[in-house]
Amino acid sequence: MLKHESIETNAGLLIVLTLVAISIGGLVEIVPLFYIKGTVEDVRKEDGTQAVRPYTPLEQLGRDIYTREGCYNCHSQMVRPFRDEALRYGHYSLAAESQYDHPFQWGSKRTGPDLARLGGKYSDAWHVQHLVRPKSVVPESIMPNYPWLLKDELDISNVQAKLTALKGVGVPYSLTTQEYDANVKNFGEDVAKKLVIANAETLIAEQVERANYDGNPAKLSEMDALVAYLQVLGTMIDFKKHDAAEFIEFR
Amino acid sequence: MAEHEVIKDPITGAETTGHVWDDTLMEFNNPLPLWWVWAFYGTVIFSIVYWILFPAWPIGFLEKGYTTGIKTISYEKNGEEVTRHWNTRSLLWADMHRGPEEAKRQEMLKVVAETPFDDIAKDPQKAQFVQAYGKNTFADNCAGCHQAGGQGVIGHYPNIADDAWLWGSDVAQIEATIRGGRNGMMPAHKDILTPEEIGNVSNYVLSLSGETANAEAVTAGKLVFDTKGCAGCHTPAGTGMAALGAANLTDKIWTQANVPGADTLEDKVAAVSGVISGGIQRQMPAFDGRLSENEIKVLVSYVKLMSAQ
Amino acid sequence: MMAHSAAAPVEQYNYDIVKKFTIMAIVWGIAGMTTGVYIASELAWPFLNFDIAQITFGRLRPVHTSGVIFGFGGNALFATSFYVVQRTCQTRLWGSGLAEFCFWGWNIALVVAGIGYTLGITQAREYAEPEWYVDLLIAVVWVVYFLIFTMTLMRRSQPHIYVANWFYMAFILAVALLHIFNNLALPVSFFGAKSYSLFSGAQDAMTQWWYGHNAVGFFLTAAFLGMMYYFVPKQAGRPVYSYRLSIVHFWALGFMYMWVGTHHLHWTAIPDWTSSLAAAFSILLLMPSWGGMINGVMTLSGAWDKLRSDPIMMFLITSLSFYGMSTFEGPMMALKSVNALSHYTDWTVGHVHSGALGWVAMVSIGSIYHMIPRLWNTTLYSTRLIYAHFFLATIGILLYITAMWVSGIGQGLMLRAFDDFGNLKYSFIETVVFMHGPLMARAIGGMFFVSGMLIMAYNVYMTLKNAKRVEASDASTSATA
Ligand code: HEC
Ligand code: HEC
Ligand code: HEC
Ligand code: HEM
Ligand code: HEM
Ligand SMILES: [Ca+2]
Ligand SMILES: [Ca+2]
Ligand SMILES: [Cu+2]
Repeated sequence: MLKHESIETNAGLLIVLTLVAISIGGLVEIVPLFYIKGTVEDVRKEDGTQAVRPYTPLEQLGRDIYTREGCYNCHSQMVRPFRDEALRYGHYSLAAESQYDHPFQWGSKRTGPDLARLGGKYSDAWHVQHLVRPKSVVPESIMPNYPWLLKDELDISNVQAKLTALKGVGVPYSLTTQEYDANVKNFGEDVAKKLVIANAETLIAEQVERANYDGNPAKLSEMDALVAYLQVLGTMIDFKKHDAAEFIEFR
Repeated sequence: MAEHEVIKDPITGAETTGHVWDDTLMEFNNPLPLWWVWAFYGTVIFSIVYWILFPAWPIGFLEKGYTTGIKTISYEKNGEEVTRHWNTRSLLWADMHRGPEEAKRQEMLKVVAETPFDDIAKDPQKAQFVQAYGKNTFADNCAGCHQAGGQGVIGHYPNIADDAWLWGSDVAQIEATIRGGRNGMMPAHKDILTPEEIGNVSNYVLSLSGETANAEAVTAGKLVFDTKGCAGCHTPAGTGMAALGAANLTDKIWTQANVPGADTLEDKVAAVSGVISGGIQRQMPAFDGRLSENEIKVLVSYVKLMSAQ
Repeated sequence: MMAHSAAAPVEQYNYDIVKKFTIMAIVWGIAGMTTGVYIASELAWPFLNFDIAQITFGRLRPVHTSGVIFGFGGNALFATSFYVVQRTCQTRLWGSGLAEFCFWGWNIALVVAGIGYTLGITQAREYAEPEWYVDLLIAVVWVVYFLIFTMTLMRRSQPHIYVANWFYMAFILAVALLHIFNNLALPVSFFGAKSYSLFSGAQDAMTQWWYGHNAVGFFLTAAFLGMMYYFVPKQAGRPVYSYRLSIVHFWALGFMYMWVGTHHLHWTAIPDWTSSLAAAFSILLLMPSWGGMINGVMTLSGAWDKLRSDPIMMFLITSLSFYGMSTFEGPMMALKSVNALSHYTDWTVGHVHSGALGWVAMVSIGSIYHMIPRLWNTTLYSTRLIYAHFFLATIGILLYITAMWVSGIGQGLMLRAFDDFGNLKYSFIETVVFMHGPLMARAIGGMFFVSGMLIMAYNVYMTLKNAKRVEASDASTSATA
């Protein structure tokens, strides 16, 4: 123990050794995640394109509302590989499914149910009703009302800047034709078209017109965006087309 | 600062290190408690065993990129026995395909799904299974819309606990609803009919199920009903058409127009007029894929039983 | 050294900055915990959301967590670390203007962040919610904090650095590392609040919980151990139990804490190997954690009677028992099989608060009661009020934790209960209904705890008022003399 004298009498040494001690754990656990291949599964459709795609501009704006309202404080987006969760929510979540999620929203508390497989479970109208007043459809609910989502118009003024920032952190939205072509190859033409940053506003208008999420075609509300996001959760991979044991290979 | 003297504690007999801070702060030079040291060694041994058993260390040159551990899980894949290192996904696979609980569940699902609906009630075990399975599946998936007892929300989600069906009462129809979802659609008539016509036909519709309505309006409304398209979907008698999901208007059961909630004739007419002028657009989501084939069949029996009570 | 101690303490040490941080710790404590009671009540009685966007549970919860951890805990740590480093180095704090900057920078950052949350401005990653511009301000404050602390250490008039300062130093270094890497994000525009995390999905999860856990490990644990290592022996008037234990558990904690973040991600889509490392290192953490508890509690050997006669000692020692309890519970919850049940439930929240209320808040409260009379050179207004505070706090914590065990374990068991056929036995909403009782009990427990804090505020207020009066009358007598 006497040797410790030299550390505790030398502030510089104490600092350096402490830094060494606290750096190792993080390095060993984080760095390999970027290079070990199986960490994020490679999931493809029958035609060989990527199953998981980036969010459309509208969905991404919806996601921004999801984070803004702090839904993650009550809802997880991570179905764990347990039988009870399989029966209740469906197929367990893959890392691939959140590969374009900046930030991830796996959550740490389920005051409400998991939402990872929510897409398609309810109608758009239900979501609107539920978000405006959850008790109107689930009398026992303790979820807050979100009436302003229906009232407030969706702010799309900075959507291109947002997509560009996301591109900056690695989401393949396209600015150039090369990037567009790469997207066609990776995701197919239909998807690639939805990832063109320059078309963001038109894409939003088209998607709302097609689906009319909030029931009011005359208005582009925050509700439109949020419901669009909720309806895509967990739907990108068609698990019927995959043998579940396939994903075991990645572990 | 010079080293202080080592002080011996009169109470415990322990000696200090000789360092003093802030006038009175000192440290005893007590040894590590033995039990603490042994407990710590215990946790070290635990950890080493743990790492030998389970996937643990990320070492680049290994095939997977990490040590996979020596504990294994066996499961069946395409009729072949596969053994892989312990991992959370294999564990679930084994539980779902070899675990006794899931096997029992799947077996019962299969048996009940193959039993014709009318025979289910004859076998108490099967009836019990339908209830047990249905209760939670309904609560987790359907009750958000149709509510806990299946009574629905008037104006939005039909009551499915009564014995009136938009899309037909037989098992195949109900199964088709749950599997594929439904699009409840009645066109809006506010641009097709005048407000007066809508008022009249509303009176007529009310009279179909025995509500006392304005006799004059009823007569005028019948003409509208027969000639302006209503009868095309709801049939001239107003008994509805299951193929279209068009409601039976003669049965006192309302899913969209809140007639039961209205007290005066005026309010009742208003309720019905609202539906006629605005039309109906509502979706039942498809559960194919979310629930398995057998699960849907058992759920159909549950819904059928619910409505039979 | 002689020259230093000959000087009057008021000039020898920079107490002014310590006073400011101490007062703010109490203010943030009351604000953050009242918000805690409010969000607890929102879960028990949802009408309290009042359809007001700014105060809905989802937006207010981070106000609570940031408020108590960084507001209450942070200010308490700044206060005590500046107090302890000066006294144990017997030297004045280096850079008094910079310390002032830390005070304003830190508190303004928190106010801006907190108002931001209610407006929906958040990075949506737990405990790292502040947006990029606040993150930058925090980073600057932190570097300055590191400078002040290090420079003061360098000026010490003792060859040995006291153990409390090792822990404070480790905390400062680790938080700098964690904060900077975990908050790497790309702002959407220079004038906008919004930014997107540099990482995504599994990597983002790993980085976030490497940070999140060590916010616990270093912010809420190592740093408060530093606090403990000064105030427990000081208040007891006894030497620290074992110097060797200090050394061993300091290095073990510092090294091992950084490995266990993945125990917040067990069974998720993160690779299994990271989970195994985290689970085992969490078990390895048990004894090093208890090292701190033993060193604190055993310091009292020979002075056990203080537990009956000194309410400040009661706070300090109770905090160590809760520390021991939560660092036993933590490793258990870090085992994959236990975590399968506890994760996503109120069990975690209960564990958090046995650490946060039982350990962090209790040790801070005890330390503040110890410092106040020394800072203002006076005596505390009322010892009986400290007793009252202690009992309210203890009852509050016990209510809180038991309620969460019932609610968390209950929900966990219900969600995985199967009937005789292997079907799910309960629907999700049935668990929500089940939790109503415990959620009410928790809110009430919180109210007890906050009442204690209010009593503390009153006690401190009266103490300072008296101190001022004495000062004033001293001044007037000397003036007339
Ligand atoms: C105070 C906690 C809380 C917050 C905050 C919260 N929820 Fe919920 N949520 C619940 C509870 C409890 C339920 C279950 C009862 C119900 O369906 O309303 C639920 C259910 C849901 C469901 C139905 C899930 C299903 O499968 O049945 C959706 C969708 C949902 N919430 C979305 C959201 C969104 C989007 C937000 C943020 C805008 C949000 N929630 C915020 C507590 C919350
Ligand atoms: C998003 C809301 C929603 C959910 C969830 C939902 N339903 Fe429906 N359901 C509807 C609507 C709306 C209709 C009426 C469709 C129409 O008008 O034709 C309907 C119709 C039905 C019908 C036909 C009723 C009839 O009279 O013919 C059945 C049976 C039914 N649902 C069963 C279920 C079951 C079983 C589940 C759960 C697995 C479920 N529903 C989930 C909204 C929902
Ligand atoms: C294209 C087909 C179609 C036409 C034309 C049509 N209906 Fe309907 N009607 C429906 C369907 C389908 C429903 C049930 C929708 C549902 O439940 O989702 C319905 C429901 C109703 C209901 C609500 C019943 C309830 O339970 O609340 C009323 C009232 C009604 N129709 C009256 C009329 C009248 C009057 C007209 C003519 C002016 C008319 N309908 C024309 C298809 C039609
Ligand atoms: C009066 C005292 C307090 C009350 C009533 C209270 C209440 C709450 C509530 C209701 C939650 C949300 C739990 C949920 O989402 O279900 C919460 C979360 C949290 N609180 Fe407190 N709290 C109190 C004091 C504190 C203190 C003093 C600290 C820290 C020093 C603290 C740290 C936290 C943390 C870290 C979380 C997040 C837990 C998690 O994500 O698992 N709380 N608190
Ligand atoms: C050896 C010590 C400890 C270990 C191994 C440990 C382990 C754990 C585990 C396994 C979880 C649950 C993660 C999950 O399922 O989501 C957790 C959560 C938490 N613990 Fe501890 N714990 C320890 C000590 C402490 C202490 C002393 C505190 C002090 C406050 C604390 C604060 C927290 C907080 C705030 C969370 C919640 C994080 C979140 O989900 O937001 N822990 N801890
Ligand atoms: Ca959490
Ligand atoms: Ca941040
Ligand atoms: Cu942790």
